[in-house]
Amino acid sequence: MPSRTIDPITLSTVWHAMQSYCREMKHVITRTAQSILIAHLGDISVGIWDADGRTIAVPTGLPSQFLGGKFTIQYIVEQFRDRIHPGDVFLCNDPYHGYGNHLPDWAFIRPIFHEGRLCFFTLARAHQYDTGGAYPGSYFPNAYDIIAEGLNIPPVKFLDQGRDNEDLQRLIYNNVRWPEAVRVDNLGMIAATTICERRLQGLLAKYGFDVVKGCIEEMLERTERFVRNQISQIPDGVYSAEAGCDDDGTVLDEPVWVRLDMTVAGDTLTLDFSRSDAQRKGFVNSTHLAVYSQAVASVFLFLDSAIANYHNEGSMAPITVINPTGRVTNANWPCTVGAAPITVGSQVMESVLMAMSQAFPKRAIAPWARHYRHYIFGPDPRTGDRYVQSMFEPDGGAGAVWGYDGFEGAASITTLGEVARANVEEMEVRVPWWMLRYEFAGDSPGAGQWRGACGVHWAMRNDGGEATMSTGNADAEVVVPKGVAGGSDCPPNMCWIVRGDQRTVARVHRYYDLKPGDVIIKQSGGGAGVGDPTERDPEAVREDVLDAIVTHQAAREIYKVALDPKTLEIDRQETRRLRGRSS
Amino acid sequence: MIVSIDVGGTFTDCLVLDGDGAVRAFKAPTTPRSPAEGVMQVLQKAARTQGQSLDEFIGGIELLIHGTTLATNALVERRGATVGMLTTKGFRDILALRRGFKNVGGRSMYDVFLPPYRPLVPRRHRMPVTERMTSQGQVAVPLDEGEVRQAAETLRAEGATSVAVCFLHSYANGSDETRAAEILREAFPQAYVVTSHEILPVWGEFERFSTTVASAFVGPLVSTYLDDLRSRLDARGLKGRLLLVQADGHVQSVGEVARKAVYLVGSGPAAAPTAGTFIGDLGGHRDLISIDMGGTSFDVCLARNGQVETTTEMWVGEERLAIKMRDIHTVGAGGGSIAWVDSLGLLRVGPQSAGAEPGPACYGRGGEHPTVTDAALVLGYIPADYFLGGEITLDIGLAREALGRLGSRLGMDAAAAAQAVFQAVNGFMASQITEISTRRGYDVRDFALVAGGGAGPVHAGFLAELLGIRTVIVPETAALYSALGMLLMDIGRDYARTLISPAAALDIGKVNGVCEAMEGEALAAFRAVGIPTADVRLVRSADMRYAKQFHEIEVELPPRPLEAADIPTVLEEFHRQHEARYTFAMKFRAVDFITFRLHASASRRAELRLGARPNAPGRRETVVEKRRRRAFFGGGMQDVSVYDGPALPQGHPLKGPAIIEEETTTVIVPPGFAVEVDDAHNYILAFGG
Repeated sequence: MPSRTIDPITLSTVWHAMQSYCREMKHVITRTAQSILIAHLGDISVGIWDADGRTIAVPTGLPSQFLGGKFTIQYIVEQFRDRIHPGDVFLCNDPYHGYGNHLPDWAFIRPIFHEGRLCFFTLARAHQYDTGGAYPGSYFPNAYDIIAEGLNIPPVKFLDQGRDNEDLQRLIYNNVRWPEAVRVDNLGMIAATTICERRLQGLLAKYGFDVVKGCIEEMLERTERFVRNQISQIPDGVYSAEAGCDDDGTVLDEPVWVRLDMTVAGDTLTLDFSRSDAQRKGFVNSTHLAVYSQAVASVFLFLDSAIANYHNEGSMAPITVINPTGRVTNANWPCTVGAAPITVGSQVMESVLMAMSQAFPKRAIAPWARHYRHYIFGPDPRTGDRYVQSMFEPDGGAGAVWGYDGFEGAASITTLGEVARANVEEMEVRVPWWMLRYEFAGDSPGAGQWRGACGVHWAMRNDGGEATMSTGNADAEVVVPKGVAGGSDCPPNMCWIVRGDQRTVARVHRYYDLKPGDVIIKQSGGGAGVGDPTERDPEAVREDVLDAIVTHQAAREIYKVALDPKTLEIDRQETRRLRGRSS
Repeated sequence: MIVSIDVGGTFTDCLVLDGDGAVRAFKAPTTPRSPAEGVMQVLQKAARTQGQSLDEFIGGIELLIHGTTLATNALVERRGATVGMLTTKGFRDILALRRGFKNVGGRSMYDVFLPPYRPLVPRRHRMPVTERMTSQGQVAVPLDEGEVRQAAETLRAEGATSVAVCFLHSYANGSDETRAAEILREAFPQAYVVTSHEILPVWGEFERFSTTVASAFVGPLVSTYLDDLRSRLDARGLKGRLLLVQADGHVQSVGEVARKAVYLVGSGPAAAPTAGTFIGDLGGHRDLISIDMGGTSFDVCLARNGQVETTTEMWVGEERLAIKMRDIHTVGAGGGSIAWVDSLGLLRVGPQSAGAEPGPACYGRGGEHPTVTDAALVLGYIPADYFLGGEITLDIGLAREALGRLGSRLGMDAAAAAQAVFQAVNGFMASQITEISTRRGYDVRDFALVAGGGAGPVHAGFLAELLGIRTVIVPETAALYSALGMLLMDIGRDYARTLISPAAALDIGKVNGVCEAMEGEALAAFRAVGIPTADVRLVRSADMRYAKQFHEIEVELPPRPLEAADIPTVLEEFHRQHEARYTFAMKFRAVDFITFRLHASASRRAELRLGARPNAPGRRETVVEKRRRRAFFGGGMQDVSVYDGPALPQGHPLKGPAIIEEETTTVIVPPGFAVEVDDAHNYILAFGG
């Protein structure tokens, strides 16, 4: 038994060492990146897998990408078998041949050898500045098929036994926009895998393969036991939920639904997405890797966060994800998938939150505000270069949880707070746009005993040339995330383009031509609420009124709290009357 | 006579350095309600030892250097001023959005049951004002002075006592902030007013605003305290200078610090690495790791070539501070850290600490949890009868009981549990040292370890063994490590100005203009404390990055006005540093300059006589054993020699295993190491010696 042969100190050292290697990898990638998605928006995943593709350490990363990283590793093991050598680095972005989320997420995979034996794989996956295809920015609706969305790269050797595969690299960089920029980010990702290799080889040299292997088996076993124990505390039953998006970007104004039936039975959990809508013409189709990753990550939110950094294959063993092909949650080739990590990724995560919150009301978690980004590309008259702009600034914040209001500022549940918003001062230097407004919007949180975080009122002016805006994977202008345990839904998102004195509504999943001087205005809803708003502490409502987050009227009508219009003191008697309670 | 005073959470430490180079240590309890009171008490204690009255003693002080955790604690515990904020209209919530950072302070993405972040300034006190600058410093929308007056009225009515003026792009042109501050001071003269371009004139509004608001938050408290301290000292006839320890590892005049109070955050611990570099230098060690292990925390800091590393990326509690601070990595591991078994059945130590009350189980004050100190006691490393010079008698039975309870959960007895706890905390600390050395591309074996704090010298030898470090240095006043550093710090400050430009298009004249402005500001500050320009050392540097990257690397510039011919050399150095840190450089890529920095300091080495001091009273001629004790070395309990530290002769190496008892600490010398007292009264542990 490994537990008898491994001393607790070695076990703890090996376990924590692997976590810190992963954090170091992420650090190197973010510090050297030139793409905002990597440097600030945390669109990265890293980790360590064993020679069979079992997950060993994944303490940090973007939920859509990393818990399913094992599928890519397993695919490479199957495809290459005895053609995997020290110094090889594989590149893969093809969701259908090698697993992935969508084409801009490129993964570099390095096998790690010790004394001639394949011991581990490491992977660095990150969203690239460009991946070819019809338009820059990779969130464009209405592509004919996945070939039109960009380069489709099945696992190939980017480095072959330490040597650059120059022909391949030339081919790739000849087919992306800003090839030098993409290369910068790729160098950082490959450097991260090199560092992981060095560290793991150091660990293996120190303890030997057998000891490290013994630690791993013990780690997997302990984690699995813990997660089973946690699941067994959830009441058995079948819990169902559904979440929709506004449309698929090709067939407009027709919502698309993700449906979940979650079965809790003893110490196992089954997440069944079979009733989700059939795969779509538009780009909201998702892939098994993304859906698996996001569904499992959402379950982890409900577990004791003390083991947050320790998740591995053992944590995933008690959780089964049923996800048949041909659904919007697991489309067949050559369906388009551009929006998938966020739309329908958000819906996958929301459905798990809603189902789990039914099962576990005292740990209810409400959906966060839906992502409300756009992509703008055009010429920058200051430099003569082309630019592409992408960011999370217009997004509203987190949903409430049982016991606390939503975390302000945290953007998109699909990131779980791993992204950073850009500074206004940084954006104005990087792109030819002038920021007019970026602050909380009034009455924007979903109400509740605990309210969601605020939405954002955001506006900017085009100081550059003619440009194109893709409203990409933004969502929730019509179909909004639902509140839980009696809390209110996220208010809808809204966007306008102002040209001179004309103001027109802009909708999600579309393209708009922009002229110099155009102003884009966005107003996002905040996170959804938890619990009945009329149960909210009147003092908390008053605080929000003082801070102009909730209006006087909303305090009275939604929260049933009466405030003196002059002093803004709580009128206790009137409040009790509004709330229908006797003193 | 030079005096240093370190006001910590529990104790106020004081060191007195005499003309002959002797250092004497004093401790008094900290008086949180009025910290100046505790300062006077410790000075009283020191005076008494000298046989002087307080007035005589204070009158004889040439220089008083002072560090305090006042600002740090106020920030972390959120006990500061009611702050109002004036900010550019349309951008009211930069502080609250916090750039979306949720997972700070070691939190995981899976942590969602969290109270949401509440900024130091509530929204109702964040007053939008019409004005707007461009990134090039041109006025796009003029300041509405009427709105500033209106905001001043509102904030006054709301009971604000401090105001932070934070406008967009003020790093490029601070005139709107300056004008708004003028109006505020006029309309609301009682308020403490700061502007973001004065506190930190660098690019990136969230970081600048957050730092400025933190300064406004602690400012009134800091000023009140400094006024109080100043007047008490003046009343006792202080003629010497009073200097304060700043986060960047320099000391600065009271006036400068009162205006930029945020620089006092981290004040105490920032001093410790200076003791490390000074003492290391005496023995020719320029690459050092300084550790400071006290009751609750373990501070570790790296110095290369005698220079302590700094960072601009610190979070203090929930607040982001972007001033340059010493890069001190702090984790919850100290003598009082509690050992526990986590939900995965792993032994963990800290970050929870038993603190001073109830303290470790062996204190006998009701502490039931086993701590690192309990383990050290059971393993025979620390004396039961001479802890803090005998001030506290430790109860080994209680320590064994607590460790026995822990051990029963791990299937081991109390002795084995003590070993496991001791090893676990050492393993954890060693990994923290690796975190700041190996992970930055340095080979930890090339460094010497300087150990301070009461618990540091107990563990340092074992840490060195784990990491392959060959030299450990323990100062005789190890337990007052920060106060020792304070005695030795240089006077100075870091300055910064953002000027964003591609290297290929750098306006050299403009750069030199910016650098000269910073130098002018620095030299004026030095003159104000009586330091002539000739004594000031100026180091220019630039934060640089590859075009479109988001993070910079600081590269040193020539110590004179820049010339076009310097650029290739500077670029070469940037490529080299990028490669050293991240394993690759990208010479094909254009490079941008972002922020220019100036580091101004005046060395105090000349006035310090701390160093060789061969004829110390109390030291014997030969090594005499104090007693023997059973302690855990080389896999088992064995009988080892215990020595009385202050009586050991200089220059007589002793072989480990050995234990040396000082009044406030114990130096453990593992097998394989030899120890000797050098002529500056430090313990030097050498591997294989």
